Amino acid sequence: MTEFGTDLLERTDTMLDVPWEVILWDDPVSLISLVVRVIKKVFNYDTAKAERLTMQVHHEGKAVVWSGDKETAAAYCVALHSYALGATIQRSQ
Amino acid sequence: MSEPFRRVDDRIIVDIPLTLREWLAAMARTTAGDAVDISTSTHHRLLGPIDPTVDHDDPLTQLHRQMTVEGSLGRFIATHMHESLSEDDAEEWIRAFQLMLAAFSAERAIMTAEDRDNLSQQDHYDLITLQSGVALMIEALDS
Repeated sequence: MTEFGTDLLERTDTMLDVPWEVILWDDPVSLISLVVRVIKKVFNYDTAKAERLTMQVHHEGKAVVWSGDKETAAAYCVALHSYALGATIQRSQ
Repeated sequence: MSEPFRRVDDRIIVDIPLTLREWLAAMARTTAGDAVDISTSTHHRLLGPIDPTVDHDDPLTQLHRQMTVEGSLGRFIATHMHESLSEDDAEEWIRAFQLMLAAFSAERAIMTAEDRDNLSQQDHYDLITLQSGVALMIEALDS
């Protein structure tokens, strides 16, 4: 195997290890009570965690609400979108 | 004054005027139409890619999301005259109200609290009506 190939494999392995994040974005029309309820329902988080994340979204404009593999992140993101919440996925920074 | 939505056993009783039901159904139809029209702000708000670094979701995700939007709005339109709802249909009403709210804000370019606070009186009234629908249905469903 060439040195280039080894480097490429190592880089690919590193990229595979980087988790994906689900980012929930603030929007000025969704009610806080709705956001808390959806976070609890989608991620099965307890009320305290859902409220903390919701207030982070409200005050900071966004919050990482989940991280892990890309496929699951995408599924969670789609579930948030089913309630018209603004959510995206990205590789962990 | 009676509650617009109230739980009786496993049903949610709907007590809202005919004019409001028709207004909501018309808005749901408009939202469903705009959602599949790629030239609208509603489409980009409801069906923009979940990964902002790419132009489009993969086709399966795209189809799934489109079917979810159409399903919630379609279920609302199909049941908007019902006097009571199952819990599943009540949940779809919450989703539909949220989809209408998102479309409403996208079409009026409401990006910030300031944009929201500067709405016309009629738009402000419509916004509050939709938000109240969400809040009151949550209260009934989770009671």
